[in-house]
Amino acid sequence: MTGVPTQPAGSEVRSTNRGAGRALVAVYGIFALAATARASVQLLTKFEQAPLAYLLSALAGVIYIVATITLARGTHTSRRIALIAIIIELVGVVSVGTLSVLYPEAFPRATVWSTYGIGYGFVPLILPIVGLAWLWHTRAS
Amino acid sequence: MIEALAYVVIALAGVAVIWGLVTAVANKPPGKAQLLFAAGVEIVTVVQSIIAAAKLVAGARPVELATTIAYLIGIVILIPIAWLWANVERSRFSGIVLAVAALGVLAMTIRLLVLWAPAP
Repeated sequence: MTGVPTQPAGSEVRSTNRGAGRALVAVYGIFALAATARASVQLLTKFEQAPLAYLLSALAGVIYIVATITLARGTHTSRRIALIAIIIELVGVVSVGTLSVLYPEAFPRATVWSTYGIGYGFVPLILPIVGLAWLWHTRAS
Repeated sequence: MIEALAYVVIALAGVAVIWGLVTAVANKPPGKAQLLFAAGVEIVTVVQSIIAAAKLVAGARPVELATTIAYLIGIVILIPIAWLWANVERSRFSGIVLAVAALGVLAMTIRLLVLWAPAP
């Protein structure tokens, strides 16, 4: 495939910011922007309406920012941070998604992760799975 | 914000999304025309945000003022960032990067249209 860049000799780790990784970083970037902006507005203007939901939105925003930056850097250290961030992201979207379905009264206002990210076309559920798959795909050989 | 201009942004961004996906499927990096088109979408988006900002200053009050301001800033920064990111390493995935940014502009503009309806 011509889209895959050649690696310099001696490189053990395929960088997460090459090839399809550039598209993945773009999607993470959009979510970093959307979730952070949304959480900032919510926390600043109506925190008292749904503190739990808004704090979870803020957490989601921070995790998306960390994942975007670490995947974009693509160094050995940043891969490990990305892995942790994406695992937290997966746990977050699955647990918040499940809780928001079982106990809707605890989430009177939507977060990025409510009902597995239904408000964002379920991309928040798919994204961490793709992220983990990408980290696996680019692992040291 | 001008409603008709919002529909123009939505249509242009939609074309940019499809164009980006088409070049990705064809396994080609975005061509010059495609990059110029993205720049054109950006210009229309900037005009929209400037007009909206002027209307806000003049006293227009959408349902959620803070969210509206965040979106008006968001729609102008997406394409330039994607442009830079797509051009560092030019491949089929550059087209997807542009498509993702254009989709973001499209979604945020649709949301802005809803928000811009006057508060009840």
